[in-house]
Amino acid sequence: MADDVGSITEVDQNKYDVDEQVKIICLGDSAVGKSKLMERFLMDEYRPQQLSTYALTLYKHTATVGNKTIVVDFWDTAGQERFQSMHPSYYHKAHACIMVFDVQRKITYKNLAAWHKELREYRPEIPCCVVANKIDADLKVTQRSFNFAKKHGLPFYFVSAADGTNVVKMFRDMIKRAVDYKQNPRDFMDEVMRELENFDLEKKEENSEADEDGLKAESPELD
Amino acid sequence: MSFEAKRCGVHFDPPSIILVYIHSDTKKVRKRIIPVRNFSKYSDCSMAAERLKNHPRHRDYLDQVPQSQLEKLHVILRDHMQGYTMEHSLASFRLDPDEDLNKLDDEELARKKGQMDRLFERNRKRRDDPGFVYDLEVQFDRKAQEKCSWDDESDDGF
Repeated sequence: MADDVGSITEVDQNKYDVDEQVKIICLGDSAVGKSKLMERFLMDEYRPQQLSTYALTLYKHTATVGNKTIVVDFWDTAGQERFQSMHPSYYHKAHACIMVFDVQRKITYKNLAAWHKELREYRPEIPCCVVANKIDADLKVTQRSFNFAKKHGLPFYFVSAADGTNVVKMFRDMIKRAVDYKQNPRDFMDEVMRELENFDLEKKEENSEADEDGLKAESPELD
Repeated sequence: MSFEAKRCGVHFDPPSIILVYIHSDTKKVRKRIIPVRNFSKYSDCSMAAERLKNHPRHRDYLDQVPQSQLEKLHVILRDHMQGYTMEHSLASFRLDPDEDLNKLDDEELARKKGQMDRLFERNRKRRDDPGFVYDLEVQFDRKAQEKCSWDDESDDGF
């Protein structure tokens, strides 16, 4: 099947169809701390792969969910957010999305609406959360309620990439939700893809049965 | 022998970094003028700062001066070489909470990020800090929260 939205030549996005692989994307304005959050979560594991041609940074992480080992690819923007829009391949096959804003800059909160809108155009149903970063700058913000998340039914986290507050919890929750989603997709396109895959499988099975029948018919009776 | 850095600044002509420090043995306040060589309006400020920080003749004196500050001084110097005023340079570092940083180019954004990094480093908890907790969790009381002024009813989606 032609798969041109996934055409970042250095990344084979078909791998995200494998059960043990999930793709989690980060969205949000410039300088809200997306990369800093990644670094804080990954610590020593932190080995990003820069794809500067695509203004993209990938971080690989291995997690255990239930009793399964899951390979997580985190996709982070590297300047592409400047255009306030991401290339469709960024959203392609994503299983969860982390939306970040800076509690010190209102504009980054207001822009969540545009990020969320674009996300839902490509991935109407994937799990998503809203992350209020930099609470270390002024802890008073945690006494305020930010309505955007509630309005869209999204989990909300107060975090600090600097002192680590709630960073690991947020990432672990999102990995788990990505895996849950993958096992039980609600996106129409995902289901279509699954149906198509099943269809292919059924066809193959039919073929192989036919072959077997053919063989049986030709094979001499042994008893 | 150690040196307590007090202030560090830049001089345009001749291009130099000025360090005011206290000599820890004599307790005397001294001024050191460090010439900035092989630096033009096309130079990379980050590399120049790193080079200076590690310079065998100056590194002991600059030990307490963060590389980010040296880089900033080089940026101001380079701006000057490119014909910009000091006001312009300082404004480019200033953080305006209402400014849309998505609209800046790489270099302009790097200046703002440099400023943000100062706060980040100040509040940063590192793995080898005492009391470091990797998966630190803090619950914030939802019931006690007040409505945020950023949620204006008239706005779409908020």
